Amino acid sequence: MREVADPGLELLETQNRFVSDHLRRIFVQIYRIVGNVADAQDLTQEAFIKALQRQEQLKDEHKAAHWLSRIATNTAIDFLRRSGRVSYCELDAAPESHDESPEDILLRSEQRDYLEDGLRLLTARERAALMLRDVEDLPAEEVAQRLGCSKATVRSHIANARIKLRKYMEKRKP
Amino acid sequence: MTHPNQSILALYAGRDLDWFTRRRTERHLTHCGICREEVQAFASSRQGLTARSELPAIRWTRLAIEMKANIRLGLAAGECVRDERMAESFAPFALLSNARTLGACASVMAVVAAGLYLQRPAPVAPSEFGGGSAVLRATANGIELNQGGQTLSLLHVRSTDVTYSAGAQGSMRAGYVDSDTGNVTINNLYVQ
Repeated sequence: MREVADPGLELLETQNRFVSDHLRRIFVQIYRIVGNVADAQDLTQEAFIKALQRQEQLKDEHKAAHWLSRIATNTAIDFLRRSGRVSYCELDAAPESHDESPEDILLRSEQRDYLEDGLRLLTARERAALMLRDVEDLPAEEVAQRLGCSKATVRSHIANARIKLRKYMEKRKP
Repeated sequence: MTHPNQSILALYAGRDLDWFTRRRTERHLTHCGICREEVQAFASSRQGLTARSELPAIRWTRLAIEMKANIRLGLAAGECVRDERMAESFAPFALLSNARTLGACASVMAVVAAGLYLQRPAPVAPSEFGGGSAVLRATANGIELNQGGQTLSLLHVRSTDVTYSAGAQGSMRAGYVDSDTGNVTINNLYVQ
């Protein structure tokens, strides 16, 4: 008789810790780019699987976190390009608290839809650059690193995105 | 009066200009109401964007457990595919290897075989675990093997949804998700 034990328990623990430490941050980051929970869930899983398949990159924790963020951003951008669609708001997710009334939820949903329509006018890279800079509040250098382009290109993406969004808001006030 | 272009104002609203351009734009804004309004509009759209990016109400704990389990599953699937690819890539290599490589391999194998022969464990007394037929079975707490009056159990105490499968050649498998950690564990027992 022989028992087949799970090989590399230590490796498994390292992987589990890595996932636990970064799961929420990466999920939120991707959610902000794609704008809906179901896609963000799939893409988060995809990003972690891609990262964990390259064990050698996980040795330095700081670099690994940075590298993971970059994978997440690129995974989200690829998804937007591939699918050619952006997002929709979800109302089906069960609320954790009952502070909001159905009217509040509906209002928030409408506001979100309104902004999502505006974000559809942006290219995938403009949208990612805008989210990383204006929502994640990352400096332009960091955004450039994540997107794998120059700081000047990032500025150009951000300026274009803000102009498009502003024009959209002027035309279609909620 | 020459106004800064829209890109400059858009970048100014997010503090994305270099020092020199920012100072020049600030000087312009002190006496141009139109451009101040533009900057204000850009700033407002940024705020709207931040509000949109708040997470909707979700059951994070459940979602996290689900994602962790799927990640683990994805990695396991990736391992299977990689093993298969490696096996495929080694097959033609073995055929193409020349006589010298084969000779070297044979020598290494002979040395390993001799080492194993010399280091072989003492034969186990038949009374330890032998005698009688072996029985593999699934219980409420795990899977267990009974042989010769002795029992070996692999327990899964913190999970309710366990998948069992039995192999025709004398193996049993139990796969489950730990309800506390979300880890996927697969236990395999083989009878030889």
